[in-house]
Amino acid sequence: MLFNSIEFAIFLPIATALFFLSPQPWRVRLLLTASCIFYMAFIPAYISILFVTITIDYVAGLYLERIEGHRRVVLLVVSIVSTCVVLGIFKYLNFLADSIASLAGVFGYQLPHTLAHIILPIGLSFHTFQSLSYVVEVYRGRQKAEHNFVVYATYVMFFPQLVAGPIERPQNLLHQFRERHTFEYEKVTSGLKRIAWGLFKKLVVADRLALYVNDVYGSPHAYNGLQLSLATLFFAYQIYCDFSGYSDIAIGTAQILGFRLMENFRTPYYSLSVSEFWRRWHISLSTWFKDYLYLPMGGSRVPTGRHILNLMVTFGVSGLWHGANWTYVVWGLLNGTYLVAGWLTRDWRDRLFASVGLYPHTVVRKAIMVGSTFLLTCLAWIVFRAENLNDAVYVVTHLLSGWNFQEIKTPQFLLRQLPVAVGAIIALEVGQLWWARATLPSALARVGLPGRWALYAAFVMLVVMFGVFRKTQFIYFQF
Amino acid sequence: MGVSSPDSTAPFLAGELDATAEGEDASREGLRTVEGVMRIACFFGMTAVLALVASVIITTGLRHVKTGQFGVSNRIMEGAVNADIVITGSSRAVSHYDSRLIQAATGHRTFNLGRNGSQTDMQIAVLKAYLRHNRKPTILMHNLDAFAFVATREVYNPVQYVPYLYDEELYQALRRINPSIWKSRYLPLYGYVVDEMSFAWLTGLGGFFGWSPRETFFEGYNPRPGTWTQDFQQFKAANPGGVAWPVESEAVALVEGLINVCQQNGIRLIFVYSPEYKLMQQLTKNRADIFGRFYNLAERRHVPFWDYSEWRYAANTDYFTNSQHLNSRGAEVFSADVAKRVIEYLATRSGGDRRIDTPSEFDFWQY
Repeated sequence: MLFNSIEFAIFLPIATALFFLSPQPWRVRLLLTASCIFYMAFIPAYISILFVTITIDYVAGLYLERIEGHRRVVLLVVSIVSTCVVLGIFKYLNFLADSIASLAGVFGYQLPHTLAHIILPIGLSFHTFQSLSYVVEVYRGRQKAEHNFVVYATYVMFFPQLVAGPIERPQNLLHQFRERHTFEYEKVTSGLKRIAWGLFKKLVVADRLALYVNDVYGSPHAYNGLQLSLATLFFAYQIYCDFSGYSDIAIGTAQILGFRLMENFRTPYYSLSVSEFWRRWHISLSTWFKDYLYLPMGGSRVPTGRHILNLMVTFGVSGLWHGANWTYVVWGLLNGTYLVAGWLTRDWRDRLFASVGLYPHTVVRKAIMVGSTFLLTCLAWIVFRAENLNDAVYVVTHLLSGWNFQEIKTPQFLLRQLPVAVGAIIALEVGQLWWARATLPSALARVGLPGRWALYAAFVMLVVMFGVFRKTQFIYFQF
Repeated sequence: MGVSSPDSTAPFLAGELDATAEGEDASREGLRTVEGVMRIACFFGMTAVLALVASVIITTGLRHVKTGQFGVSNRIMEGAVNADIVITGSSRAVSHYDSRLIQAATGHRTFNLGRNGSQTDMQIAVLKAYLRHNRKPTILMHNLDAFAFVATREVYNPVQYVPYLYDEELYQALRRINPSIWKSRYLPLYGYVVDEMSFAWLTGLGGFFGWSPRETFFEGYNPRPGTWTQDFQQFKAANPGGVAWPVESEAVALVEGLINVCQQNGIRLIFVYSPEYKLMQQLTKNRADIFGRFYNLAERRHVPFWDYSEWRYAANTDYFTNSQHLNSRGAEVFSADVAKRVIEYLATRSGGDRRIDTPSEFDFWQY
């Protein structure tokens, strides 16, 4: 079920009440049951796939602790490969078949398309990576194997972060299922506030901007440069608010139950470089790739050529993780290219800035760096969002052509939507700045209870009145 | 919700405690939990009341709006129309029949009950609501569409009906199409925010304080001032082989149902197929079948049928915004034509049985 649905609004308080009312020994089973119900609200049969991957890695974890030597490596490889095969079948088989058929077509061969369309189980990429991190950590000796199947299954299936992360490490999450969690008013209210902020991002910002983005990117040739540029800018905020909004709701939900999930976003669009952007965007995924792919390949402690290769491979695979389409691969490689170029030109850029008096802590230099990083990110988002590479090339090459301020609207996004969309983005930025500078928390602390409740109620009403309530999924669900 | 909570010392962390102290701690913790839950419940209860009050304000406001689609609906539901000639149909009715022009030409009060995005079932529901609150008209001109025999799958722009869901027949008609409409009736604000992109709630707030938006509906007529758009080109590109509109038995029965409503109420019904862009007519693969059904039905039920398929401007995009809708210029010309036919019909009381495909003097009149 979706976080922004009436079903979840009913499910969460019931699950929470049952959790806190249950005796401690029953709580993990209750969470597992709730997580199964949550997952089965999508496509019930696919829970069997989830249990297959859970069982594989649970058993692997147990045996990795018991056996020694070469067999441990073999078991690790078997576990990783079998988990990845499940992911590969459901996510990449059709893509692979289509790519082979296209390649064959280039050489004049017509291959029969015999594969049926396979529906990707929701959240497969996320819980697969979470399982893999468990197995690797057990192998490395940094995590004891979980002997209780119910606890391990709940670690993989914990409903707040089941379908779109954050991708948790076992060291952070697994032990929390053995701790006693009591109802704490402050944690619950803090969690509720986090959920409200996540819903604002999703419903008021992301889903409203999606109206425009979907129209323009659905048929980019029908729109002028201004519309293409606006859609690109809107998509940057849409994907940020959609995904970070989901993470906020996931973190808030877990907080209500007394669990701590990792932060997944740290205002990434304020980054001074693409490298910093990737330390602030989808932190759980980028750290996963760093720890389990980039560093094992040698990271940066290798000759320059190998370092560049490591970066490109990591980002290429990261792109592929996002979806079975060449646009995602190109997007990943483009980000890798940004990082490489940024790393290679760092000294040159420092000298260039210094030559015009823009030292590292000057506001102007920071503004230029933030702006240029945002621009580069937006250009990459074009490839990410476009339905194919041809569309991506078209958008990039027509961003500045045919601007017509008389033609801004689209079929679904009439002009009356524009002030609401822009206002929502401004409210988002102001809210983030206030929170980052602790202006908002300290201001709220000075207001009495009636005043705070009035503000919170007004915020809820704002989300309700300005939110877009349609059956829309979160973008990252498709990954 | 930001007040720091009391200590939440769990008994098992407190080291060696005697049973009484443990029991007291657990009891205090239980009370704090209850207090916390009550506070949260109070907050959500307060927010629910706020939503209910907002919903009442918006609904009241929308029922006081004097202009636009809500203005039209309010006049209908308040019994302030009482027209002699009413027009029903879909968006083609709304934008083709200039009620003011027809009224001026015929001398009979005229009102357009057309609804954008509606099919026959909603059109009947709106007509019945009209008849419950207003004097029955002498003539009802029902605009037919090529897709008149397609059953409704969803309610278009449901917010336009939300302030009037207290009307049981209207509500039941909507429920037959969309069983979830009960949420709009019983859940505060639901109908004003879910699947609603027009910010109708802002209009409601304004209406509550006596404000109404700029008028765009004139005796129910909503003109389309624009020029020819790319809609038809895009449609042709997406459907190069044309389109065949389904003929569904339940929709056929609804058209018969409309005839029954009129005949039971002693209203003279006239079917009108208002102008449609010529090239679109050629792209409708089963047009002959559909129109055969129109003619058979009209003949069998003794309903005049004015078919404007051969309207002299049907091939001229200067009179259309897209293949289905006339622009205001086209509507003006068409409405004048219809007005003249109504005058003749009223004079002869049988002259409307002629079909326009057998040339009549109307074809040669200059407007």
